[in-house]
Amino acid sequence: MKLRVIFGGLAIIWLASVSGSALQAKQAAAPGAAKSVWDGVFTKEQADRGAEAFKTACSECHGNDLAGDGFAPALSGSDFMGNWNDLSVGDLFERIRISMPPSGPSAVTPAQKADIVAHIMNFNKFPAGTTELEPKTEVLKAIKIEMKK
Amino acid sequence: MSRRLLGACLSIGVVVAGLTSIVVSGQSNAVNLADGTSKGEWPYYSGDVRGSRFSPLEQINASNFNKLEVAWRFKTDNLGTRPEYKLEGTPLMVKGVIYTTAGSRRAVVALDARTGEQLWVFNAIREGMRAGGAPRQLSGRGVSYWTDNKGDDRIIYVTTGYRLVALNAKNGQPIPAFGRDGIVDMKLGATFGRGQQIDLESGEIGLHSTPTIVGDVALVGSSFKEGMTIKTHNNTKGMVRAYDVRTGKVLWQFNTIAKPGEVGGDTWEQESWASNGNTGVWAHITVDQEAGIAYLPVETPSSDFYGGHRPGDNLFAESLVAVDLKTGVRKWHFQFIHHGIWDHDMSSAPMLVDIVVDGKPIKAVACPSKQGWLYMFDRISGKPIWPMPETPVPQSDVPGEKAAKTQPIPSKPPAYARTFVKIPDDVIDFTPALRAEGLNILKRYRTDQSPYVPYILGDINGLLGSVNIGNTGGGTNWPGAGLDPETKVAYLPASNSGVSVGSLVEGPPGYSDIKYLAGMKGTEFRLRDGPGFGSAADAPRTEANAAIAGAGLPAPPALNVQGMSIVKPPYGVLAAIDLNKGDLMWQVPHGDTPDVVRNHPLLKGMNIPKTGQNGAVGLVITRTLVVMGDPQVTTPPGRARGAMLRAYDKKSGAEVGAVYLPAQQSGSPMTYLLDGKQYIVVAVSGGNYSGEYIAFRLPE
Repeated sequence: MKLRVIFGGLAIIWLASVSGSALQAKQAAAPGAAKSVWDGVFTKEQADRGAEAFKTACSECHGNDLAGDGFAPALSGSDFMGNWNDLSVGDLFERIRISMPPSGPSAVTPAQKADIVAHIMNFNKFPAGTTELEPKTEVLKAIKIEMKK
Repeated sequence: MSRRLLGACLSIGVVVAGLTSIVVSGQSNAVNLADGTSKGEWPYYSGDVRGSRFSPLEQINASNFNKLEVAWRFKTDNLGTRPEYKLEGTPLMVKGVIYTTAGSRRAVVALDARTGEQLWVFNAIREGMRAGGAPRQLSGRGVSYWTDNKGDDRIIYVTTGYRLVALNAKNGQPIPAFGRDGIVDMKLGATFGRGQQIDLESGEIGLHSTPTIVGDVALVGSSFKEGMTIKTHNNTKGMVRAYDVRTGKVLWQFNTIAKPGEVGGDTWEQESWASNGNTGVWAHITVDQEAGIAYLPVETPSSDFYGGHRPGDNLFAESLVAVDLKTGVRKWHFQFIHHGIWDHDMSSAPMLVDIVVDGKPIKAVACPSKQGWLYMFDRISGKPIWPMPETPVPQSDVPGEKAAKTQPIPSKPPAYARTFVKIPDDVIDFTPALRAEGLNILKRYRTDQSPYVPYILGDINGLLGSVNIGNTGGGTNWPGAGLDPETKVAYLPASNSGVSVGSLVEGPPGYSDIKYLAGMKGTEFRLRDGPGFGSAADAPRTEANAAIAGAGLPAPPALNVQGMSIVKPPYGVLAAIDLNKGDLMWQVPHGDTPDVVRNHPLLKGMNIPKTGQNGAVGLVITRTLVVMGDPQVTTPPGRARGAMLRAYDKKSGAEVGAVYLPAQQSGSPMTYLLDGKQYIVVAVSGGNYSGEYIAFRLPE
């Protein structure tokens, strides 16, 4: 009797581990699966690069503290989340890609802009992970921006 | 009656009826701008030339507001080289046509007011660097209308590069007889220093507000860059000019910086009148046509936060100046802020209204403000209706600064928004822990319990800055307020949580001739620019904004508590003031609770009443409603992410209806009647939503 229970328990544990790793394998195979900013979608190194690029290209209007200045909007905190909650990282990236900085959007490369988005994510305390943000709107559209509820 | 006589009478009757109908239809085609919105049109930015933002329409009311449908929408993306995300226009509606500005090139468009169909667009003026470097970019706040009622209908507006343009309202073509081929270069005559003409390409002057048309005259103000980190205090000098609408000739000029020998000339000590500028008139000018007086709302002088290079009260900065409409000669003035060092400006149109106070009829002017007071005067004599005693205010300890010892503070009406951060009463109090954290954070700031706390030399390792509320960004900002000229009630939108941190730092050597600029010791010094800067269609690429000093030093901490405002709600309000009595009738929060508060982990399970939102939004007033949209986007349960256009009962302030907007309101709403249907049109934009005008109407 005890042995059957033990075997049963082991079987359950084995099944769980197999299906768990199968799931993980699935996720690794399909990186475009539904994700949010809470899933570690940028790296610390990318955010650091983005912080430097941000200082040069963005802080003049948005402030080094991302608080805006009453004219350029804040990129952190309440106003930022209000503007972007429920949209995707791709929406934010595309907005920056086509219109920022206002004096010449092509002065900053898409790769730098992806880094800047990583910096904004990091500043807003979304977790870093092991993969960088790709500078591609259609890819970033799969990552949802959401406030933790 | 014999048949013949009857026939004759009938014939005469038909002829008379025919003549009558010709006369009547002739009258209905005439537009008397002095009638304002009384015929269901919207011929001025603020409805009428008196700044009321009022229309007597009542088809849309509390019982049907929620049934409003989108009648048409006009997207502005391609009116320029890239989409605009800051669409601030209030369209006009005259004779069935909508006229407004739109897009990053500030194009002028005419739309069919029934359907939104584009009738014409004018964007032929390519201004290059003149627009690219202009201090007021993007599409601005709209256009102005003029007619001679004989077929010459014109649209008058100011380009990004500060040119005055007159277009044929029927087809959008420049009027050849106006200026040179329809254009007047208003940079000609703009000066700095001791009357030196500014460079026509790079000289700094621009405008967002619309010209004020009265009779055959257009009154045009002037506007400059925000004065946070500017390179020189010897900037272009502010002024207002009157132009002949037919020819574009200058009729008169009022200079806002008083010179020696003139009234106010002794308020610029050490000849600082000669080496300072700004002091523009960027808000809307209103006019009492009967009395022949124009009311000029004047802004801050050069260098918003440090006045060491302009000792004295600095007339007529931050003043209301009443001038003779025909000559531009000053009749009276009132200075709201002596020696301004907070960027209060006069931020919106002075509103004209006839009231009765203690049985005495008074022709009044009422001025909303960033400070949170409505200043009211006899508009003929300039006498305050209720006393505004000069009140001692905190003093500055910044070297070289000589703050004014007193500022006028109205005794009535009471403030309609926060005038300073009261400690502890105004500090966040959702929970005792948050209140305690807020109080602790505030220990690092200068927090005199008074309005008008001067900036300090902040230090990242010491006191960080001064705390003020309502300067720069709010109370009532550029969208202004409005009033019901029939019931004598003013309706005032206001930010109520626009807390600012005021810190100055010595500028890097050689950067500016102003000794202290916005910044903080121990942090990187970087340029701070103003709204929409660099975003005009022809804006050149600027060089990377390298740290001018202190690269690698940290940024100053933001003043908030766990991501929420340091002050408790309401974050933004709509208030009503009885102008006859000088009483505050009601004050309600305006706007959904921001997501960050509604979803905050520290507030889980709490039932927080609607907080309202901080932000500058304007309104339109009808016979029974005040209509205003939210300044922020939220995603509450029950609807898609977006904002709401709200209707308030004028007597109680109760919200009686709300309809969905896909983005925050960014331009003030207007309303008109056409073919028996009432429309409300409002501009929305912000975040990822590019500029769009949306028109609402009741269903068929």
